[in-house]
Amino acid sequence: MFKRSVRKGNYAYTVTRVKAKKSHLLKEDDYDKMIQMSVPEISRYISESGYQKEMADLAGRFEGLELVEHATYQNMANVFKSILGASQGELAIMVAAYLEKWDIWNLKVIIRGKSYGLDAAGIKEDLVPAGKVDEEALDKLISLDSVDDVLNEYSKIGKVKFPAEVLSEYKETGNHGVIEDFLDKYHYQRLLDSISPYTQPTKIFLNYIRKDIDVVNLRTIMKLKSEGITGEQVMKYFIPGGMQIDSKFAQVLANADTVQAATGDMSRLELYDEYIKPVLDSDTYNNRAVIAAIKKYQEDQAKKMAHMYPLSVLPVVDFMIHKETEVRNIRIVARGVDGGLSRETIKGLLVI
Amino acid sequence: MAAAEAAGLIAVGAGLAVGLTGLGAGIAEGNVGAAAVGAITEDASLFGKAMIFMVLPETIVIFGLVISILAIFVM
Repeated sequence: MFKRSVRKGNYAYTVTRVKAKKSHLLKEDDYDKMIQMSVPEISRYISESGYQKEMADLAGRFEGLELVEHATYQNMANVFKSILGASQGELAIMVAAYLEKWDIWNLKVIIRGKSYGLDAAGIKEDLVPAGKVDEEALDKLISLDSVDDVLNEYSKIGKVKFPAEVLSEYKETGNHGVIEDFLDKYHYQRLLDSISPYTQPTKIFLNYIRKDIDVVNLRTIMKLKSEGITGEQVMKYFIPGGMQIDSKFAQVLANADTVQAATGDMSRLELYDEYIKPVLDSDTYNNRAVIAAIKKYQEDQAKKMAHMYPLSVLPVVDFMIHKETEVRNIRIVARGVDGGLSRETIKGLLVI
Repeated sequence: MAAAEAAGLIAVGAGLAVGLTGLGAGIAEGNVGAAAVGAITEDASLFGKAMIFMVLPETIVIFGLVISILAIFVM
């Protein structure tokens, strides 16, 4: 019985911790106040809202906008690491698989840094050690000489097997994009595999991830389409495993001549009527508005699942999504204020 | 003989009442305790409230104890 309960995961403990953390997240009022501040004022404001430790730690190395950006990412990494450390059993497996995206983010940063000849300190600045791979292992990766060595080492640390054709294509072309595309697909595949859909909450989580894959695919298709890229070129970036967009439907969207034609094809999707159609009908239609609408759909999906099963993985994932959104919002406000954007424009960019 | 049998069954019933309620309270307190420790880890000021919630499942055992006392001494 005890063995079983450990395998199942310590939901009561972890969920209470994330709920307590969630109550400290910034609210809409906070963003309204921050929009009216200068960057140093924003720094002070977030210092008083849970980012104090990171702001104090990094204040000697950075200032202004850079300080806000680094402190928010560092805080997110610390928070996610504490959740990962707190969870056990199947919960820990799912949280680790979800957070693997930050390991992949870090690996991409290191590969790009190595390819462009950045020094170790420069690469380290952009890392977000929020995943399973700890800072020590990341330091080891940074210290390696070439991208090949980094991939070799990461395949041991992250237990990733890079396919021979990906490696050979990378070696032939020198384009690290092929590795990045593989890693994106690999992350979602591993995440889907880590969720066993035997209970209702894990089933909901699985469906959320599958919808997330749809959103990522849609965004990729829209972005590439707006740059005039269609057909096979788009399908190269297609991530399998989505709920509504299978490879056939993705092909239809990818082959559409224009963005407008693609959005027309999207009428089959669940999110079309509520999210995409109003944007298409409005006067302010543009590609960015459609992508923002898709993002809103993703947020609403997360909100919907948050309160369904209190003692499950769902509140934990919901918090992680909200934390990421908060960090993104703070950075948007800080960058917007720094860049002199109007308050309305900044507010429009926020996801609240 | 019948009286001895009845006394034995009452003792078994009393034991079951305390034992099973104890098991129930244990399961409940396991979850409440884990949640309470989680809450205190995030915010130490919640200790008082967490303590109250920790104690609540123990009332189940008290019910069991009352039943067993009633069974042994009143019946």
